[in-house]
Amino acid sequence: MKKLTLLLLLLPVGAAPQEPPAPDREGVEFFEKKIRPVLVDRCYSCHSAEAKKLKGELYVDSREGLLKGGETGPSIVPGDPEKSLLIKAIRYADDLKMPPKGKLSKEVVEDFVAWVKRGAPDPRGKGASTAKKGINIETGRSYWAFQPLHPPAGATVDGLLRAKLAAAGIAPNGPADRRKLIRRATFDLIGLPPTPAEVDAFLADLAPDAYEKLIDRLLARPEYGERWARHWLDVARFAESHGFEQDYDRENAYYYRDFLIQAFNRDLPYDQFVQWQIAGDELAPAEPLAWMATGFLGAGVFPTQLTEAEFESARYDELDSMTSTTGSAFLGLSIGCARCHDHKFDPFPSRDYYRLASTFTTAIRAMAELRMDPEGDRAALATWEAEHAPLVADLAKFEKDELPARFDHWAAGRPWEKQASRVWTVLDLVETKSHAGAAFVPQPDGSVLATGENPKNDKWTFRARTTLKGLTAVRLEALKDASLKKGGPGRADNGNFSLSDFRLTVRPVAGGAPVPVKLSAGAVTFEQNKTDLSAASSVDADKGGGWAVDPQFGRDHAAVFTFAAPIGFPEGTELTFDFEYNNNVHHAIGRPRLSVTSTPPPAALDGEAKAQALVELCELLREGTALDAAARERAIAVYGRIDEERVRRRRAVDAHLAAKPAPKVTKVLVCTEGLKPLKHHADERGFPHFYKETYVLSRGDVNKKQDVATQGFIQVLERGADEKRWVAPPPAGSRTPGRRAALARWLTDVDAGAGPLLARVIVNRLWAQHFGRGLVATPNDFGVQGDPPTHPELLDFLAAELIRGGWQLKPIHKRMMASAAYRQSTEVVPESAKKDPDNRLLWRRDPHRLEAEAIRDSLLEVGGLLDRKMYGPGTLDEGMTRRSIYFFIKRSKLIPMMMVFDAPEPLVSQGGRPTTTIAPQALLFMNSPLVRRCAAGLAKEADLNQLYRRALGRPPTERELQKAGEFLSAQEKSYRDTGKPDPALAARVDFCQALLCLNEFVYVD
Amino acid sequence: MNLTRRELLAKAGNGFGLLGLASLLSQENLLADEARDPLAPRPPHFKARAKAVIWIFVNGGPSHVDTWDYKPELEKRDGQELPGFNKFTGFFANEVGGLMKSPFKFSPQGQCGKMVSEIFPNLGKHVDRMAFIHSGWTESNNHSPALFMMNSGETRMGHPCVGSWVTYGLGSESRNLPSFVVMSDPLGRGLPKGSAQNWGAGFLPSVYQGTYLKPAGAPIDNMAPPAELAGDRQRRQLDLLRDLNGQSIESSPAEKELAARIESFELAYRMQAAAPEALDLASEPDHIQKLYGLDNKKCTHFAKQCLIARRMVERGVRFVQIYSGGMENQLSWDGHKDIEGNHRGFADETDQPVAALLTDLQQRGLLDQTLVIWGGEFGRLPIAQKGGKPGRDHNPHAFTTWMAGGGVKGGVSYGATDEVGFKAVENRVSVHDLHATILNLVGLDNQKLTFKHNSLEQRLTTITVDAKVIKEILA
Repeated sequence: MKKLTLLLLLLPVGAAPQEPPAPDREGVEFFEKKIRPVLVDRCYSCHSAEAKKLKGELYVDSREGLLKGGETGPSIVPGDPEKSLLIKAIRYADDLKMPPKGKLSKEVVEDFVAWVKRGAPDPRGKGASTAKKGINIETGRSYWAFQPLHPPAGATVDGLLRAKLAAAGIAPNGPADRRKLIRRATFDLIGLPPTPAEVDAFLADLAPDAYEKLIDRLLARPEYGERWARHWLDVARFAESHGFEQDYDRENAYYYRDFLIQAFNRDLPYDQFVQWQIAGDELAPAEPLAWMATGFLGAGVFPTQLTEAEFESARYDELDSMTSTTGSAFLGLSIGCARCHDHKFDPFPSRDYYRLASTFTTAIRAMAELRMDPEGDRAALATWEAEHAPLVADLAKFEKDELPARFDHWAAGRPWEKQASRVWTVLDLVETKSHAGAAFVPQPDGSVLATGENPKNDKWTFRARTTLKGLTAVRLEALKDASLKKGGPGRADNGNFSLSDFRLTVRPVAGGAPVPVKLSAGAVTFEQNKTDLSAASSVDADKGGGWAVDPQFGRDHAAVFTFAAPIGFPEGTELTFDFEYNNNVHHAIGRPRLSVTSTPPPAALDGEAKAQALVELCELLREGTALDAAARERAIAVYGRIDEERVRRRRAVDAHLAAKPAPKVTKVLVCTEGLKPLKHHADERGFPHFYKETYVLSRGDVNKKQDVATQGFIQVLERGADEKRWVAPPPAGSRTPGRRAALARWLTDVDAGAGPLLARVIVNRLWAQHFGRGLVATPNDFGVQGDPPTHPELLDFLAAELIRGGWQLKPIHKRMMASAAYRQSTEVVPESAKKDPDNRLLWRRDPHRLEAEAIRDSLLEVGGLLDRKMYGPGTLDEGMTRRSIYFFIKRSKLIPMMMVFDAPEPLVSQGGRPTTTIAPQALLFMNSPLVRRCAAGLAKEADLNQLYRRALGRPPTERELQKAGEFLSAQEKSYRDTGKPDPALAARVDFCQALLCLNEFVYVD
Repeated sequence: MNLTRRELLAKAGNGFGLLGLASLLSQENLLADEARDPLAPRPPHFKARAKAVIWIFVNGGPSHVDTWDYKPELEKRDGQELPGFNKFTGFFANEVGGLMKSPFKFSPQGQCGKMVSEIFPNLGKHVDRMAFIHSGWTESNNHSPALFMMNSGETRMGHPCVGSWVTYGLGSESRNLPSFVVMSDPLGRGLPKGSAQNWGAGFLPSVYQGTYLKPAGAPIDNMAPPAELAGDRQRRQLDLLRDLNGQSIESSPAEKELAARIESFELAYRMQAAAPEALDLASEPDHIQKLYGLDNKKCTHFAKQCLIARRMVERGVRFVQIYSGGMENQLSWDGHKDIEGNHRGFADETDQPVAALLTDLQQRGLLDQTLVIWGGEFGRLPIAQKGGKPGRDHNPHAFTTWMAGGGVKGGVSYGATDEVGFKAVENRVSVHDLHATILNLVGLDNQKLTFKHNSLEQRLTTITVDAKVIKEILA
């Protein structure tokens, strides 16, 4: 090193910096691809603002730095490699050998020479090294992906493709035959093969727009949503478990998948599709689909086994999952790289990353209770109300027109004379209320059945009115019921209850202050002990303890509580009973009944129970006095309670009332703010779920916090707008801070935000699915490290069309698929292949293998086993026969067949899948029970012609028929020789399996 | 479609395929050019010292002070407090005890005189073949992150493990077997924490995923033909398939992918025979079975796995990982309670088989080209974890790994812990350094073995760290 320093000093101090030439785009591209990465990797550590210790006073992180040079003078002389010190140094030609750790490869050195010769185009311009960090946002804006759209006027898909082909002297292929075309379009749009009938119909339709109509039909199929939702699930790194060692399931996470299917099927505008996944709960809180969409943010992994030391970094990892996936999925940008340092290649300062990440500071997974169908709820209520009104009217009419006469008729029979003496009168309850949300259903025997919610603790208030007098005791029954656990009589899991407090207050019906009644425990059928679980403990001063009956479950129980003095106001009495349940949890009585008696104390526990109405009426009439109008009205009202006709009508009204439709509430896993975070294992050690602030971290290290990050976006994508344009304060009283809504607005803002890139990225994804490769071959990386577009004008044209058409995707599918490029044949024309072996210019159709899901779904479909039920919870059962999108995605139990056929692991956003050809795939086709099952299903068809049409969408050739015949007879003989029943069928199953194994089955031409 | 191999892989997503058997395709030259075949054998960066690796993964965190890192000081200070100890070092902050001497006797072994715990009577005889690295340290005190760290160089999910990197770097050598095989505890004690992630290909294509031999039932899915297709029936079916497929190929000869798929069926057919053969221990002579301890009830299961490992390596498998122990606590070397009983038990399960593996590889001339690694995800604390029978809690600050065979010096010890074995203090070795050393031994330069993911050239030893090869233990 000593020698080197000396040498550096001896070299001349050189020329003044020159103005950069007008940036030539190809030159800049060359720089970005070939030069900048090498500079960053091999030189920056000593020669940039990032350098821990700057060497030789030389900065190579800006054009200015290179031109100015260091101690030894200018590093480059644009246009003249031989005079450029940098070139000499990297050639290792002289004593100055750079980089010191090892010579660059010959190719790289040549790249540098070519670059300098070209004038050393360098978009970094001035001042990168003076602006502390090596990022120049203004220059970054000139990069193609960060520019506004430049759609060529009057373009068409084919026009733009053919211009390039013509320039290369290549003629595109002609159209594929129609059989292939319908197969291609059907697999592309719905992921299943066309049926023989669909093929026939298409072949028979000779109208010029037959193909267009086919596309329309396919786009309208519900299977379209299933197919395209599956593509998006890769992008969203979606799974239904936390991952890591415990990998707990995330219940109700599948609603995100169902959102996607519905969104694609109804062609939700893509900007809204994006907005809802970021902030649906904030932007459209009344729309259940918008809530379901937020599953996107929370779909990443989370390590639920955490030690305290890991809490904070785990939360930053979670923020990173949201931030990085947002970048990759929507913008095709690897902004996650800026977590630890300024992005090495793209113009994203680390600060931008944290500003963006702070959007999600308080965002958490939560179980939301959504009304999935508010319209339906409203409609159901309206229907109910329409049915209810006539029942009420019928009752009122009956009471007015018929009841008085029926009362007179009944009274004429002097019924009180037939009344035996009574012991217990069952109280009619006029009010039954649970303070914690339980519901009570009146039973014919005067009891009420507690149903619905079984709260931890509860307080009940029951009210009854009576004209009876001289009441001496109340009997509380706790009755068994088949609907209760262990038959009751309590609602606890073991059938027990524990009534911690039981109180009574009375007052005259006409009004007056309630007076507490001192209750004393009398007879009881059974009590769990004589102390804190006795009947007495329910009416003592102590709030704890309370009557309980373990282990006498499944039986009726009762306890009598006597009054200190007889009760009964002259005008009638209102009794208010308070029940309290706080001695244990979920320990309410299941079916209580209250009765009163006027026999002198001590009242016996049992005795015939009579309905209150009859008893009261008899008391009233027995007195024998003529009834005045008011008394008669009261008597008729009481009579109404025992009149069968009236009771029937009343019951009809009550039953209908009980069936009043409540809004249907569904638990859905969402990502939101301000709701209770979804509990998991790490809660046990006190994991806080989120921190109030997000900090800018140095090197991503939570122990190296800098200042608090306030929300912002990626500056290089912004054009002359203040970020306030998107950030609006949340409405007063809002549960959420509105940060995600701001991000959603920024992402979709075509004029000043990320909108143009958003559109480019999604049309490229569609293109990649339809053509096998995107116009940008790296769908998740539109940055400098990704591939540049093969047809930039076409990309911009399609993106602009998308926006112009209100962001609807279906018209873009149609536009792509209607092109001659999409419809052309797969034929390999040697001349074309020579000029463009990779088919970058799309002179032919590349055949591609179906993805894992489409292979399995097609097997099931052809085997006649496919269950088309849509939506709902998934399963891990490999034997299920629904479409593969309905597999439950558990990170530690990914479905083997999916993985063998290259399904990705759901950890980070995936832009595309590889297609591998490996022996385990062949083994699966040869030996798996699934393929055998599907072959057996297909083999039910005996006609070879039909078999071919079902499996491959075409009839067999003569030669195929001959081969099939030979195989079938040999195989059949083999089965017959071993005594297999129906050897012909067995042979056909094997034949069908071979058909399913064919390349033609899994490759779409 | 003339993608270079690199481009092909760059297009590939993040894979976690379940079967790395893909290797099979490569030896058949079915994928005519190397560019198309992710598993074609590839030359190393420099001459490899080892062709194969067998990693005995001592799962749960073996206690270095009770095995290979002898600390007489612990006897002197038994029961005393460890000054300045942070109670959050291990997993249980409320069960911190004083320093605890090893319950085991140590004695000098071999020419080198290495002090070895009495629980390894057989392995002790091989110390002159072993290079001990006493100064390992890691980044997590928690099993699954530490396991991920040891296997993939990152505490988080989603990064390729060492075996995947090696397969990616060197391709597959074997004709009919996967190149990377993993075995776990067959006694129903569970998988290492983080399960299949530990042998996952992470962001590498799924073809580089380890092939997991299931301990119960058929070891590999779909390996056996359906009963109906016994005899020549499946052969006849495959002949038909080839015939019918051939017709479509004739019409588009340029489609190499289709040709490769046709060949894959033939390969699969041969594998059906090859894999069971490799796993068939009955063909091993008696004295070999006895050498490994197949007749010793305490270690039959592990003896079988070690013997399978040798058979695999003989047949060209490149990377074998065997997990000793199941999940955690008493199910693995995770001796939170009763360190004595725990470690004695697991040592009894592995001592004879691993020693036999070394002997057997040696006598077949395979040890020179086979790197054997013994080590876990972290060490254990020199203090007691309080309880009826005291145990030891996790220690991320120090652990011991030994290597033997392919390219490693024997009878050497590298690095050291402090006098009680709490922290690595001399020549500290990070997990990245261990990885760099393993890669070096198989002929790979950790700086050059890269894969572009998320716009970055990712490495096993991570982008931000300069890992160093432990040259001192290289032969």
